[in-house]
Amino acid sequence: MADDKDQNELPQATVVRRKRTRVSVVWIIPILAAVVAVGIVVQRVLSEGPSIYIILKSAQGIEAGKTFIKYKDVDIGQVTSVELSENYGRVVVKAKIAKHAAGLMVADAKFWIVEPRISLTGISGLSTLLSGNYIGFQAGASTDAQRSFVGLDEPPPITDQQGRKFVLRAPSLGSLSVAAPVYYRQFGVGQVTGFNLAQDGRSVEITIFVNSPYDKYVTTETRFWNVSGINVSFGADGIDVHTDSIVALIAGGLAFDMPSFASPGAQVPADTVFPLYRTQAIAMKQPDPLERRFVLFFDEPVRGLSVGAPVTLLGLTAGEVTDVSLSLNPRTQTYRSRVLITFRPQTVFASLDKADASKVTMQARNRDLRLQVEERGLRGQLQTGSLLTGELYVAFNYVPNAPKVKIDWSKDPLELPVVPGGLATIEAKLASILTKIDNMPLDAIGIDVRNAISTLNATLKDADTLIKRVDTQWVPEGTKTLEVLHKAIVDADRAVVNADATFFAKDSPAPQDLRDTLQEVARAARAVRILVDYLERHPEMLIRGKPEGNP
Amino acid sequence: MTPALATAAQAGLVSCEACHLLSQPASATEPGFCRRCGEELEFRRHASIEKTWALIIAAAICYIPANVLPVLNTTSLGVSEPDTILGGVAFLYSSGSWPLALIVLVASVMIPLGKLVALVYLLLSVQRGSVANSRDRTRLYRMVEFIGRWSMLDVFVDTFTVALVQLQPLMSVAPGTGVLFFAAVVVLTMLAAEAFDPRLIWDPSNPHRIRHG
Repeated sequence: MADDKDQNELPQATVVRRKRTRVSVVWIIPILAAVVAVGIVVQRVLSEGPSIYIILKSAQGIEAGKTFIKYKDVDIGQVTSVELSENYGRVVVKAKIAKHAAGLMVADAKFWIVEPRISLTGISGLSTLLSGNYIGFQAGASTDAQRSFVGLDEPPPITDQQGRKFVLRAPSLGSLSVAAPVYYRQFGVGQVTGFNLAQDGRSVEITIFVNSPYDKYVTTETRFWNVSGINVSFGADGIDVHTDSIVALIAGGLAFDMPSFASPGAQVPADTVFPLYRTQAIAMKQPDPLERRFVLFFDEPVRGLSVGAPVTLLGLTAGEVTDVSLSLNPRTQTYRSRVLITFRPQTVFASLDKADASKVTMQARNRDLRLQVEERGLRGQLQTGSLLTGELYVAFNYVPNAPKVKIDWSKDPLELPVVPGGLATIEAKLASILTKIDNMPLDAIGIDVRNAISTLNATLKDADTLIKRVDTQWVPEGTKTLEVLHKAIVDADRAVVNADATFFAKDSPAPQDLRDTLQEVARAARAVRILVDYLERHPEMLIRGKPEGNP
Repeated sequence: MTPALATAAQAGLVSCEACHLLSQPASATEPGFCRRCGEELEFRRHASIEKTWALIIAAAICYIPANVLPVLNTTSLGVSEPDTILGGVAFLYSSGSWPLALIVLVASVMIPLGKLVALVYLLLSVQRGSVANSRDRTRLYRMVEFIGRWSMLDVFVDTFTVALVQLQPLMSVAPGTGVLFFAAVVVLTMLAAEAFDPRLIWDPSNPHRIRHG
């Protein structure tokens, strides 16, 4: 430092630049560390989604810090705490939702606990066997953000598949259940998603979901019907057994299709309401523009006549019974059965087609009806469709000499005249026969018969004594005679044998003698023949005698 | 307590950091290079205190995420579970193996923290020109320097576990971000210990202080 004291001790300027800056480069390291750490914190904070609360009935399998909320199998959140609600009635699950899924937390989002479920229609949630339960999530359509939700007890059946929802209206639910399959040509295309009573409580509304692309087959012409269980019907048409799949057999199911006669029809929007028919046959019935309802009153019992029983016109099915009930006959103050029928003329009249049918005026139809019923004697009657089951149906036939009737045109539905049906006629005849039988002097006949039988009895007794007499008296005599005869025969037999032995014994003299005698006779015969021959040739010998020297 | 002994710097000499040859510096400001081994000679390590401070602060910053962030992500049967170091300690303790918990707690939490605290104490005492406990402080420094290389145990265990436990899909282990910070803490504290010049501890005990910050 003290190089030169003459220079007034002024510091000498240096040629070397001060190389040390005040802040060392090494400070980059803590700054870097701070930046990274702060960056991570910022990223954490930024990626932090909202916290939501889910109110559940129970927290089965839910653990804070371990249970995830999954949407399409992606973790979108994690349960951070599980607590009881204030009144201890429910469980409040607090969950942290990932930032990217924060937009999904809207008013109608759904949460439910996913656990292994085994139902008739399948096993689901198997992955939870390994990973434990998780909270399932279904996105909602709402745009209102929400942070508090009420969890569902059951998973909503359809998550977010493409397709359309439809509503079916049915008088009763039958054996349908949620997740019951929906078939189109026996092809599983959807499922029942829910059901509830209609507002008025008179019918059931069944919500179904038809997956895309099958939902396009649901058109204005589509008919839905129930395929639940086994459909066994003993109708007047005979026995009909029908079932779809085993699943439908147990869990119930629905099917839809278009009737073959229908035009393709237009697509329908979601939530369209369709009627649900009981069976395919009913569903597929052709609608008839000429369809008309009539009422028939039968005085005879209608046991065996069920709703849906056919109504025939000259033997062809032209409608069906739609209601059977009782009503009071105002004239006689007696009950009678009131049968409501639906008449579909188009199904039997070949000349009618849809286009024509719409042109037929009601007036013309009434005129025709008057002619047929009042003039020609067309009458309805109950007939037995099956003797086995006693099913009845309503038949319309021309009844000769039917009593004249007048149709009361003021009524709606019109009442058509009836005559006692086949079974009723048979019953009436049987009744008359029974009456006749009843009128017979059965007691007198009985006495006569008894008398005759006692007489016969006496006769038989006489015959019996006679036979006994024959047995005791005549038969022993006969036996004796037979014995004598037998002895005679035996004697005769013995005589023959003796004779045989006498004549044909080997060394008896008689045969030898006999043989010799016969030889002699033969010789004599020969001599006689020679004599005869000679005499033939020399007849003169008889006069002159035998010439000498001539043989 | 310790008698003030003459130091090389006091005598105008400089000791080579590499081969410890005592030589005369080329000049007071620029001591030059070691004649024997060619190492650049310094009276005291260059910007020792400043460097050490910077590294310690960096290590302290990293120490927070190293303990907060998970060091391991254990995926067992489909459930992923992040584990922090303290979480692991708590788990080991609650599952009954408290000796292991203690080892992890000491090796992974207390030692890095202790190193940081020790270095801060050394720096503060040097900067305040404290003359007390110089010998103990030197011993502390030696301990910090010695223990540094063993602090990576956690990182080793972590990496081995990650490499070995890959039983997809039953179980798998993935490293968490925390382990990076933990390694950074260890490395930074080691570098800080390296940057600190223990000779500074003794300089205040000397009447003729040579300041080389």
